[in-house]
Amino acid sequence: MGKQMTEMLKGTLEGIILGILAVSPAYGYDITARLREQGFTEIAEGTVYALLVRIEKRGLVDVEKVPSEKGPPRKVYTLNTQGAEYLDEFWGTWGFLASRIEQLQQLVKHPHEGDPS
Amino acid sequence: MTAKWIELVTGPLEEKRRWRRFKQRKEQLPAGYRRAMDGLERYFMYAAPIAKGDVYVQMLEDLVDLVERAAVDGTPVRSIVGEDPVEFAEAFIANYADGQWIDKERRRLVETIDRSAEEV
Repeated sequence: MGKQMTEMLKGTLEGIILGILAVSPAYGYDITARLREQGFTEIAEGTVYALLVRIEKRGLVDVEKVPSEKGPPRKVYTLNTQGAEYLDEFWGTWGFLASRIEQLQQLVKHPHEGDPS
Repeated sequence: MTAKWIELVTGPLEEKRRWRRFKQRKEQLPAGYRRAMDGLERYFMYAAPIAKGDVYVQMLEDLVDLVERAAVDGTPVRSIVGEDPVEFAEAFIANYADGQWIDKERRRLVETIDRSAEEV
């Protein structure tokens, strides 16, 4: 994963994780696996876990410890009402940002479009 | 009464118990994972000078939760910390900012600027 990708993901990964949890509750490991399936091949499980700790501290998810056959119990994260509200805000922000960047890109690619001639 | 007095001298006993439990959990990890834990712990000591004992212990407990689970699942160390372990360590530390010395200075800066903004 390139440096630029890492930098860009920093601000959005939290929202992406909440989005994944909005689809269904999941373990940290599941979330990392899903991200990898979607092309984020080099994402570290620890980075995802660090964000899950943050999201938990801010009360955006409910956490349930589910006993596992082997090893310590697994923590299952479920999006709660507060998390859903936060996610709505994230989509709004993302939509705004994406449309502005798109506009800028169009301007760069076709600088003279819309010019009076 | 006596317990209170002892805690005054030695620090909270509950924290000590948690610290010992953490050490035990670390000892039980397979060697490679234990080495990774040691490395992260050392980095935390320098990069996240945490003033509050309970916050520090909590940070290590959260970390060992992750590493223990990864060891059982057979997740390679590289997949836990990624290509850039510093990146991961910093993301992890950011969660415990409320326990860092710098946090007090951050608040002080905010208050100073608030006051100066009122004056101008």
